[in-house]
Amino acid sequence: MNVPVKYIDLPAQSRSLRAELLAAVARVLDSGEFILGSHVERFEKRFAALSDCKHALGVANGTDAIVMAFKALGVGPGDEVITAANSFLATAAAIALVGAKTVFVDVREDYNIDPDLIEEAITERTKAILPVHLTGKPADMNPILEIARAHKLHVIEDAAQAVGAKYHGKAVGSFGAVGCFSLHPLKNLNACGDAGVMTTDDDSLREKLKKMRNHGLKNRDESEFWGFNSRLDSLQAALLNVKFDHLDEWTDTRRKTADYYREHLQDLVKCPSDQPHEHSVYHTFVIQAEPRDELQKFLLDAGVETKVHYPIPIHLQPAARELGYRLGDLPVTERLSRTILSLPIYPELSSEQKETVVAVIKSFYKR
Amino acid sequence: MKVAYSYLQEQFSDPEPIFAEMRKLIQRGDFTLGGALTEFEQKFAVHCGASYAIGVGTGTDALFLSLKAMGIGAGDEVITCPCTFVATVGAIVQSGARPVFVDATEQFVIDPDKIEAAITPRTKAIMPVHYTGQPCDMPKITAIAKRNGLRIVEDACQSIGGEVDGKRVGSWGDAAGFSLHPLKNLNVWGDGGVITTNSTELRDRLHLLRNHGMKNRDEVELYGYNCRLDTLQAIIGLWLFPQADAITESRIATANRFDTELGKLKEIRVPPRNANMRHAYHLYMVHAERRDELVEFLVGKGVDAKVHYPIPMHLQEASAYLGHKAGDFPITEAHAVSIFTLPVHQHMTEEQKQYCTDMVKAFYKS
Repeated sequence: MNVPVKYIDLPAQSRSLRAELLAAVARVLDSGEFILGSHVERFEKRFAALSDCKHALGVANGTDAIVMAFKALGVGPGDEVITAANSFLATAAAIALVGAKTVFVDVREDYNIDPDLIEEAITERTKAILPVHLTGKPADMNPILEIARAHKLHVIEDAAQAVGAKYHGKAVGSFGAVGCFSLHPLKNLNACGDAGVMTTDDDSLREKLKKMRNHGLKNRDESEFWGFNSRLDSLQAALLNVKFDHLDEWTDTRRKTADYYREHLQDLVKCPSDQPHEHSVYHTFVIQAEPRDELQKFLLDAGVETKVHYPIPIHLQPAARELGYRLGDLPVTERLSRTILSLPIYPELSSEQKETVVAVIKSFYKR
Repeated sequence: MKVAYSYLQEQFSDPEPIFAEMRKLIQRGDFTLGGALTEFEQKFAVHCGASYAIGVGTGTDALFLSLKAMGIGAGDEVITCPCTFVATVGAIVQSGARPVFVDATEQFVIDPDKIEAAITPRTKAIMPVHYTGQPCDMPKITAIAKRNGLRIVEDACQSIGGEVDGKRVGSWGDAAGFSLHPLKNLNVWGDGGVITTNSTELRDRLHLLRNHGMKNRDEVELYGYNCRLDTLQAIIGLWLFPQADAITESRIATANRFDTELGKLKEIRVPPRNANMRHAYHLYMVHAERRDELVEFLVGKGVDAKVHYPIPMHLQEASAYLGHKAGDFPITEAHAVSIFTLPVHQHMTEEQKQYCTDMVKAFYKS
């Protein structure tokens, strides 16, 4: 018996947590701490521990996290940054926004940057590598770090989709100079609005970023440098602290759903898989299927919403025009953009809903 | 007696109506760019007499994005006043432009008569700051901008409800930035900002710039920022809006009373007030002899007196690269050692108001 399946269902998550969330809002109101303060500090402590890092700093959103990481490391005009083109566009936007040039490197079948192609993209202007842990799967950090060391490049991790993911048992966000996370409402650990967090082990970088998110102020009256206003709202931090208690359970559920999909679909479509050293958190469960658009329509007609993350790779977006990329430059990225399909994988999916997803895909290929 | 600078506890003593709206939002789940935000933006535009309002992350972002939307950046100069909060300058610098300072008047706002001398071929915009809620001389500034082909971005972060010749701040320039920070006159429960503009072209660009440059889910027209006013915060702004004019009027009444009482003291100098302007009194700021001693005395008596701010922008460490020195902006510098602020918020009682001026008088009598 097929049941409707939305691609995302925020009200489903909120239903079970509504009372707790509203109680958290009331606590913030009573505390009168709306800007930084104890709720943010508590969240930062917990997030640092989760990410195997000494420090975490709450910021306004994931994009700002990347922008400020570049600014703090002095990456700017005239510099080049290497990244992947199949990410959400904010990745490349952050590079462009600090005035640096994006150099795209193709990805592997697992959607993450191909370390074997990085070295040939390095020029004397390259300052940093920005690997993306896309879909919640860790990028192959060991070779990336080795290349970065050999060429004296900064590594900044775009972990926007990968809260809690691990690589050889170590959390993402702890490999590069700075880890940048998004806590947007659609993320695995999600605020009720825009929110982000950055992680680092470096004490002096932490001091710099802490000032940067707060106007460059070293105290109420003195600005050491001209900064941003990009702070995680206390209100959102308090809401995130409620959700933090459920994160492990949610991640487990996502991983179990991934196992279920794999078990039932791997003969029909290409499913993402974990290597033994990887702990993916499945922000998205992206299959490769053909003919993709027909399958997506078939699913939709049967009441199952799916998404494509993303149909137009960043290097082919109008915004990237001046970088001069053409179709054919990143063959794997481009091929994947035509076959990828994201299945619903949020923790609140019922067994009936998961069974429906599987059954509809099966019947599509039986036609 | 205690007279606190913050009034959040009194202001939100009955949060139930807000909680009810939040409960609905949590059920709906439209946390980014949701319905409540659109409604808030419409009300905000009407309140400022502007055609459009765009909710963004912070007041700083409002100024920064306005400059970006006008294409202002590296190689350009933006004229502003060194008597302001650091965010004004931060916004200009983060756009890539160079801040060029022009000294303030006795009213803590940019002196229009000194602007033209600061204009160079690189000047692209003027960012007048309606500091403390005191509107700048917008008719003069508008004329200067027109004459020199410059844009105007009003820094209206402290001045919602302010008026010049009956026309609200935020409706004079090409764009204006407002802050909704918890300590502002119209405040939310975290960071928030709004841009107002009368230009459809700027509105369209700002809509792109605040939301990753996306014209739809999959297509990016230009590289943008992520800089949206949370729907959650818009709910609080909407709840507050019916009170907005009463808040301003209450602050004006308190300020007038302070002016009268403190004006009697030879040690206090009240800045000139304009008959053709509506001052929004985000801050009640006047000059005092022996300022530091006075502030210490007041704080000791429970009055949250403050200094906004003791170090002008051109003398901040962050401005070192601009090469300024003490003496460059004599009026702003003189103010920095004499200004102090008293609480002026709408939740002060008669007794608290009386107490504030009594304590200032007591200090000078002692």
